Amino acid sequence: MSAITSFLAIFRGRRLATFGLIWLLIVVVAAVAAPLLAPFDPLDFDPMVRLSEPGWPYIFGTDHFGRDSLSRALFGARMAVLIGLGSVLVALSTGGLIGMLSAYSTRLGHVLMRLVDVLMAFPALLLALVLMALLERSVLNTIIVIGVVYATTTARILFGLTLKLKNEVFVDAATCSGAGHASILFRHILPNLISPLLVQASFIFAFSQLQAAALDFLGLGLPPEVPSWGNMLSEERIYITRAPWLLIFPGALIILSVFSMNLIGDAMRDSLDPRFKDDIAGV
Amino acid sequence: MALLEVRDLEVGVAIGGKVLPVVQGISFDVEENQTLGIVGESGCGKSLTSLAIMGLLEGSMLRLTGGSISFNGQDLLALSPRARRAIMGDQMAMIFQEPMTSLNPVYRIGDQIIESLRQHRSMSQRQARARAIELLDLVRIPDPERRVDSYPHQLSGGQRQRVMIAMALACGPKLLIADEPTTALDVTVQKEVLDLMLDLQKRTGTAIILISHDLGVISETCDKVVVMYRGKIVESAKTATLFSNMSHPYTQGLLASIPVVDHDVEWLNAIPGRVPLIDEVLPGCAFHPRCSFAQASCATSPPSADYVSDDHLVRCHFPNDRPSGGEAGGDA
Repeated sequence: MSAITSFLAIFRGRRLATFGLIWLLIVVVAAVAAPLLAPFDPLDFDPMVRLSEPGWPYIFGTDHFGRDSLSRALFGARMAVLIGLGSVLVALSTGGLIGMLSAYSTRLGHVLMRLVDVLMAFPALLLALVLMALLERSVLNTIIVIGVVYATTTARILFGLTLKLKNEVFVDAATCSGAGHASILFRHILPNLISPLLVQASFIFAFSQLQAAALDFLGLGLPPEVPSWGNMLSEERIYITRAPWLLIFPGALIILSVFSMNLIGDAMRDSLDPRFKDDIAGV
Repeated sequence: MALLEVRDLEVGVAIGGKVLPVVQGISFDVEENQTLGIVGESGCGKSLTSLAIMGLLEGSMLRLTGGSISFNGQDLLALSPRARRAIMGDQMAMIFQEPMTSLNPVYRIGDQIIESLRQHRSMSQRQARARAIELLDLVRIPDPERRVDSYPHQLSGGQRQRVMIAMALACGPKLLIADEPTTALDVTVQKEVLDLMLDLQKRTGTAIILISHDLGVISETCDKVVVMYRGKIVESAKTATLFSNMSHPYTQGLLASIPVVDHDVEWLNAIPGRVPLIDEVLPGCAFHPRCSFAQASCATSPPSADYVSDDHLVRCHFPNDRPSGGEAGGDA
């Protein structure tokens, strides 16, 4: 069975998760094809049509600069996917490496995991705010900060799993066959961590959407000129009574995306959980 | 010069700042083409001895506190980690007790054999795969061309242990350490796996250290036997000598514990008591609390290991003053 069919098998009989997957695909398509799909330039403003109601030609209406909301939402999908993928990459690589190394070398683990503990003591949003306050507002910095925040939980999870795996007999057997430390970590232990890493990735993707929106809303995320769902909320919040659609559309997009990713993550966790798998494969 | 020479091996466990000895004064030789059996109850230090030889103590609470291990004329303990890794898997290999967990569950078995092959030999993926199939055939895995692509969970326990043997023998090692290789298997499969190991030994000339708590298995397979009790060698001899003239009450007790099928007995023979814990201080013989021949002096002075005949070593104050036979365990 190929990787794709076995991935799709996860969604068989899980209607909500399938909905999540479809929504995710829509967002990705919107992100990739935003310049083709957007009816207007997301940065072009026309004061004559500011705060238009949803209708034709402005399907989602226009904001207080007269920019087309739908076009901005489409380009916002770009940011959502970019930030999601970016922070997943940062979180899994740094957190994963820290967790695995800490578990493998107890002495290193004492230092690194205490550092992780300190970072985990802060609420995620607060930590992200502090880090962003120290850095410049940019797409890259937002990705790094959100990635670092979720690297802590990834490190914790991989620390525990690696601690268990490194005492497995097959690791001793690998040592006996002459495998070095790097080979044991990355060729013998890491492949056993792929399922939990995938599950973790889907949750980090979901949380990164919320986190990015929150940072944008508080004015500490992406630069204000970048069209993102969070920035749309942030800029138009004072018009909530006059033009509520300006907040309803991006808000709904954020909620749907976070919800979808969580549904996908739940489905993956249920079907990839090693304990569950062991029950079937073990005997 | 023997292939493997272990001298005065000592292993300690670090607990609360102190290092308690768990294996003491272990010395033995293994010659090429020979099988050495190490027997004893759980907790006697059999496995620790093998782990020390393979260099697997690193990173745990256990450490090598003394002694020397020389393999093929090289002092293993003086080698750099890299040089030692080059030997492990190539010239010495190990089979573990648990066939269920000693294979990596996410890799196909063929890939695991190929991995250990390519670690030491420069071969192409293709050659290594052909060799892996050959090895699987050698350990009598049916349909090796297809099985080479199986995952461990698709194999039975006996098959997995045979795959382990194939992996261990991949590079044609001079020494194979088998730590209770058959304990986790069915009795019928046990026999097959043991026969397979001995058969392969005949063909390749590999020396084997067989660790077991089963004297029956040892008597059938080994040339020399070392009996361990609480981290020390209490008796060692050639198998024939040992079984004709068991001199240590512990060895006699182990033999007496094997149930005899055609005797109708109400109670199974067992050695009373248990192996003392590592932090229990015993000034005398470690076995005296369980020994039915113990005298007053056994409790106060530790016996030394003496030769009662040519290469028959016994650690007992009264090695010859007792009726030999199967009554050492007393009536439990």
